[in-house]
Amino acid sequence: MSDITFAPSVTEKIFAQEDTNSRRHDSLALISMRNIWKTYQMGAEEVHALHGVSFDVHKGEYIAIIGPSGSGKSTLMNLIGCLDTPSQGEYWLNGKNVSEMDDDELARIRNQEVGFVFQTFNLLARATALHNVELPLIYGGVGSAQRHEMAKQALRSVDLEDRVTHRPNELSGGQRQRVAIARALVNHPSILLADEPTGALDTHTSCEIMDLFERLHAEGNTIIVVTHEPDIARRAHRILSIRDGLIEKDEKTK
Amino acid sequence: MERGGGNLLEPRSYSFGRRISVPAKIRSLPLARLAALGEAFLVASGSLRANKLRTALTLMGIVVGVSAVIAVVTIIKGLDKTVAQTFSSQGSTVFTVSKNPQIIKSREEFITFSKRKDVTHEDAEAISRLCSSCWRVGVAANAVETVKHADQKSEGVRIRGVDPTTMFAIDGVSIDIGRIWTEAEGSSGHEICVIGPDLLKNLFGGAPADRAVGQEIRIAGRPYTIIGVLEPLGSIFGFSRDNVVYIPYSTYQKSYGARRSLVVFVQVPTAEQLEAAEDQVRTIMRNRRGRTFGQEGDEGFALETQDVFLNLYSSATSNIYIVTIGVAAISLVVGGIVVMNIMLVSVTERTKEIGIRKAIGARRKDILTQFLIEAVTVTAIGGAIGVITGFGLAYIISALIGFPLLVSVASAVLGVGVSSVVGIISGLWPAWRAARLDPIEALRAE
Repeated sequence: MSDITFAPSVTEKIFAQEDTNSRRHDSLALISMRNIWKTYQMGAEEVHALHGVSFDVHKGEYIAIIGPSGSGKSTLMNLIGCLDTPSQGEYWLNGKNVSEMDDDELARIRNQEVGFVFQTFNLLARATALHNVELPLIYGGVGSAQRHEMAKQALRSVDLEDRVTHRPNELSGGQRQRVAIARALVNHPSILLADEPTGALDTHTSCEIMDLFERLHAEGNTIIVVTHEPDIARRAHRILSIRDGLIEKDEKTK
Repeated sequence: MERGGGNLLEPRSYSFGRRISVPAKIRSLPLARLAALGEAFLVASGSLRANKLRTALTLMGIVVGVSAVIAVVTIIKGLDKTVAQTFSSQGSTVFTVSKNPQIIKSREEFITFSKRKDVTHEDAEAISRLCSSCWRVGVAANAVETVKHADQKSEGVRIRGVDPTTMFAIDGVSIDIGRIWTEAEGSSGHEICVIGPDLLKNLFGGAPADRAVGQEIRIAGRPYTIIGVLEPLGSIFGFSRDNVVYIPYSTYQKSYGARRSLVVFVQVPTAEQLEAAEDQVRTIMRNRRGRTFGQEGDEGFALETQDVFLNLYSSATSNIYIVTIGVAAISLVVGGIVVMNIMLVSVTERTKEIGIRKAIGARRKDILTQFLIEAVTVTAIGGAIGVITGFGLAYIISALIGFPLLVSVASAVLGVGVSSVVGIISGLWPAWRAARLDPIEALRAE
């Protein structure tokens, strides 16, 4: 992040105060974003990826964030996932203000509060399915016996208990994504954050993965799916449409 | 570490079957670091195994460096030990009086020394008579000759003319077979000799010593009868100390002329008496050279113990050692650079992996440790192999030159230790680069 600096200008701050959503964060919400700005410095030019985004997510919600490429939805996902901090604004996740955390604090939040599911699975190629799932527990400092048990259980929950010792290249795309989901769930995070989870899968497998998300939602998990596919978004119970760095539409569909 | 307000008590997340709760406290235990450390070791060994050729080449850099240092240090220690042992065989109870010191340091000194009077047999007799602290006094002069027997010949033999026969004791040599000449024989100028065991081998085809006694050899064309054979002393730096012929000093004078400066050897019973004897001898010699105590200018003779040579040896060689070890250490530095280069490549290659780990919750410290451990593992293994090959090299070289091999645990520990430090130093920068990678950018890498 060395070449990107945050530089909110004065005009933005004034603009921000006019924002209707700049009230105090909702202490009951799992996610509470207030007037989030993200500004990148591209050479001499400032590029605003987000122009004061505010929304709340409650526990147990199933949300899709949609928008065309360049809309700022990737930036928003990075912020929700605590991979990055906003240039301006407040982000409360599970009662903690993460908007002003440093690198290592963010790492800890990612470890304990966020479960990532990526488009390209992002599994460690040389590690077995079990080891991949154990990884968050390793960085969370869980002892090895308990780690094995928890990781096995997570793999069982995605119906992969018979693929424990397989490496990613010995698994199908759908199986890989299920390993990734098990990894995301193993630490019992507050949110499951999926970025185009079916982007690398065929239609049939996509359906299976989306069914799995539905099941996980039914069991009480909070799920946020970032996608540009309307079919995938339609599965969610609430859709946030992002355009030009702003929330264009926030609608409950179910 | 608290885990999010009121939500802690609520059951959340997936719940197929039995749910295992994660007590918040587990995560803050020191165990946390331990788990990450274990992972770091696992990843390091996995990565080293996955790139076998690369690992081997990296190892090689360290192995060469460490084994060079170990071999040099070991050989130097062996040399020192050998030299010290050799000169203490005559021991610190012996000193010499001679015209020139054993070591001439400059041309000016050489000119000064050549103006001195020769040390003569009379000087030796005076010392023997007047020095009460002296135990044994003898004279010796050396020449180098080719020695022949029948059609056999031995070149570069040290011919040592000595008087009286106590010089054998002062030199620390003893008779194996046969006898030493009697006093009468010694002063009569008879052509008799005592030979070192090397001549048995060179002239008599390794025949038993008693077969040689009574035989005749020719030194510089003159016939000598062998009356005794010495016990072997062994060799130093490949130079045998047994390639020697002892003849009476009177006989030596006949062959080489009376007017040659000789060396007076003085032995005292114990090392404590050395200084007193030296003082007495110095006074005697000053008197004989017509000098008084404290007089300016050249003393006219050289009085030395073997320590003089030892001290010079160590002061002369210590600088050489430092340079040699320095040169060997440079290869270790080169090895370190190889490791750094490989680690940088490794970090670049695994940017994606670093991104994944960071997204999942690895902190900077975790990533830093992981790459540091990888670097240190390579260098420590390289160091261990280097220690072994270094000792092997030293063994071969010392066997060829012929001095004892001194394998020290300290240098082995030092070898592995230093290479590990090299690993830390050369791994630090690549590891730090990995640790501060931005997770978003790292995830984007392929």
